[in-house]
Amino acid sequence: VNRQPRLLLSVLLLAIVGYAGYHWWTGLRETPDEGTRVVIGEVNTRGGTLTSTLRSEPRSFNRMTHPQAATDIYATLTQGKLVRVNRATQEAEPSLAERWTVSADGTMYTLTLREGVAWSDGVPFTSADVVFSFEAVYHPKSGSQTGSALLINGAPLKVSAPDARTVVVQYPAAFGPGVKLLDNLILVPKHKLQAALDAGTFVQAWAAGAPLADLIAIGPFMLTAYEPGQRLVFARNPRYWKKDNTGQPLPYLDRLILEVVPDQNAELVRLQSGQIDMAQQQVRAEDIATLRPLVDQGKLQMLEVGVGTDPDVFFINLKASKWAKDPRGAWITRKEFRQAISHAVDREAFANTVFLGAGVPIWGPVTPGNANWFSPNVPRYPFSIERARALLTGLGLVNRDADEWLEDEQGTEVRFSVLTYKGNTSLERGAAVLRDDLRPLGIALDVSVIEQGALQTSMVKGDFDAIFFVYFASALDPAMSLDFWLSSGSANIWDITQSTPVFEWERAIDALMLKQAAAADPAERKRLFDQVQNIFAENLPALYFVAPRIYMGVNTRVGGLTPSVLRPQLLWSADHITVRAPQ
Amino acid sequence: MGRYLLRRLGFALLLVFVVSSSALLLTQLAPGDVTTELATTMSPEDRARMRAELGLDRPLAVQYFAWLGGLARFDFGSSLLYSRPVSSLIGERALNTAVLATAALLLATLIGLPLGVYSGSQPRGMGPAAVRVFSVIGLSVPPLVGSLALVLIAARTGWFPVGGMTSATGVELSWAGWIADIASHMPVPVLALALPLAASLERLQSQAIAAARREPFVAASRARGLSAAGALVRHAWPVSLRPVLGLYGVMIGSLFSGSFVVEVVTSWPGLGRLMYDALKARDLYLVAGCAASGAFFLAAGAWIADILLAIADPRTRTGEAS
Repeated sequence: VNRQPRLLLSVLLLAIVGYAGYHWWTGLRETPDEGTRVVIGEVNTRGGTLTSTLRSEPRSFNRMTHPQAATDIYATLTQGKLVRVNRATQEAEPSLAERWTVSADGTMYTLTLREGVAWSDGVPFTSADVVFSFEAVYHPKSGSQTGSALLINGAPLKVSAPDARTVVVQYPAAFGPGVKLLDNLILVPKHKLQAALDAGTFVQAWAAGAPLADLIAIGPFMLTAYEPGQRLVFARNPRYWKKDNTGQPLPYLDRLILEVVPDQNAELVRLQSGQIDMAQQQVRAEDIATLRPLVDQGKLQMLEVGVGTDPDVFFINLKASKWAKDPRGAWITRKEFRQAISHAVDREAFANTVFLGAGVPIWGPVTPGNANWFSPNVPRYPFSIERARALLTGLGLVNRDADEWLEDEQGTEVRFSVLTYKGNTSLERGAAVLRDDLRPLGIALDVSVIEQGALQTSMVKGDFDAIFFVYFASALDPAMSLDFWLSSGSANIWDITQSTPVFEWERAIDALMLKQAAAADPAERKRLFDQVQNIFAENLPALYFVAPRIYMGVNTRVGGLTPSVLRPQLLWSADHITVRAPQ
Repeated sequence: MGRYLLRRLGFALLLVFVVSSSALLLTQLAPGDVTTELATTMSPEDRARMRAELGLDRPLAVQYFAWLGGLARFDFGSSLLYSRPVSSLIGERALNTAVLATAALLLATLIGLPLGVYSGSQPRGMGPAAVRVFSVIGLSVPPLVGSLALVLIAARTGWFPVGGMTSATGVELSWAGWIADIASHMPVPVLALALPLAASLERLQSQAIAAARREPFVAASRARGLSAAGALVRHAWPVSLRPVLGLYGVMIGSLFSGSFVVEVVTSWPGLGRLMYDALKARDLYLVAGCAASGAFFLAAGAWIADILLAIADPRTRTGEAS
């Protein structure tokens, strides 16, 4: 009898302790709202430190020889270009070349360099540096991996320097993107790297362990500390040439720190706790809800950058030798088979399951995020099991026994495997959705989640049935991504070893793309590329289902941001970024 | 005892050689190489040229013997990924891992052994039961979950930095300030490493001490008038150390060769992360160097454990059966 009040008292005490504990926990680290929220584009605060992240550390500081993500960000912050493609508008804008003229046939560009520009060590920047940079990027012994991005029809550009401020660039043929091609060239200092190029040690010259004094800059920041495995610390380059509209020297920030955080979950925790101001990569769909309370509290801004331009892609191996002795080759390489798969996938449900609603259905590699080149009129494959089944029946694929799977006329089961890689949650979920969507149709899809390097090895060797992965394009102009569009391109993912077109549609795309790349008139280029997209969507060498919406999580103290769908989405214009309270 | 230790040292060197050679050969035999990740951005001709420049087109035996030749001069080769000597990359990271491992080992010992003695010497009661429950939890929680939970607690409370080894301002601090800065970054990774180890030590020590307490010589010591605590400390505990010290060798090796999960989650710049990056990119010389380093620490750990065992148990050094 006496136990009941005690029990009630204990429950009450536990509830009070639990409630107090919950309040203590949720109240931790809450700071009073300081009011003045900086909006994107506002640039009125000078000074302060911005902290962001890198998922992996740079293997080198030489962007020519190591074009990986971390080195690319380093180069974006510290190096310079003659002409820059504005990542937000996609227009070419003057950078270290203040103006240029083009010859009547569109093949010769005469660029005038800015006056009074110097490297961070005080040595003047001249046309000799530009000529040297071209020499290094094409040099067979330099270890350059970016030379192929500066070829037109396989031929290099020719460069001369009539005087210290003038550079003449001769294209081997007319090129549609015009001067935008020069965005692919990172300029390097001749006085620091000429000796290394001559000695054949260019690839080691700016290795990750190089003395910081050697790593001179011409961009907005310069590297002042590199703690391997931990962080890169940048300080404002006092010799940076750019000023804002009021004549104030850029960049606004005193310091920029990139913490090396290999794990995305750990990066999220740091963003939540305010220990970093922004993550380097977009917020995963599953993390948006986690960050929402901080957005509601005014601590974090969730920037919707736009629809991603690098959607996940599914493709079947079209290498003829792969299927020569495989009975499945009779139907798996047929376009009707791929069209049936496209019909079988409910893209709306795919967007809801894989991207938790933050995605838009797509029908080809060019997404609405690439507004200049997206074609809304490509052939579409609405979700329809009946139409998919009819296409498969046309290929002779019907259920000939008691199980749930289709068979061909020889009795071979309609079964194939798809490789995807670990660590990318949208790929892993997407592959599972594909498997489940194809099952009612009678197609057995075996999903293998493997390590990224192993997947790439399989792709290079052509040793796979199908692959589901993500391919990152570096430019939105299709003429700058010919590696993907041409059958001989190194990113011809459905048969990477191919050097000439195999299918008639490949031949047609090759011809149109070469014509498109050489055309000068933007309207004509768009018309030709629309044709390419139509052919691509008709034949579906690669299938696209949903493009994710890109969200970036940024602390509300950060302003002056100009987001872009291309990586690095925010740091590409780091010279205009501000922070509210200098640290 | 000297011969015994020399024999163990010989085994240790052999282990380092076998492990690093195997790592190199297995990485070489695995599909793909360091140029594979460039397949979609480079033409096949450019890739072939790069492979030739890196020496990857040479036969496996040629590559292996060239590497062995370098090894004889203590040259581990150059990292294909970073274009830097492997020894300098490992040197940078090994010290960081050693700092973390030493702290974790000390903490695990200070928690695990006393608790093990306590729970093993008192088979009944609330205290030993609570210790056992905590040990089982410590053993059951995967390192990834444990690390993330500690990072989350650090982030929510603000008691400790959530990651990294030093602050961004660390390079500007005095020596004392710099050491204090490193110390402030250590609780999360050290606890993530030490708690499961402490749980293992506690369980092992508890069982060993319980078994030792049942030995006749412990009862005899009590019969001679020694107190229960005295018999435990002077007779049961030294005997119970044998299995515990055996575990130390493995623990030292695994800790000092770097814990990949803890290092990644807490952004600790150690050997585990370097090895993982090297493996992912098929940087065979760096993989072999990291494996050699791990094997060296494993062998050193086993060697130290052997010495301690020889000191604690005379039967070991005389070769007498236990």
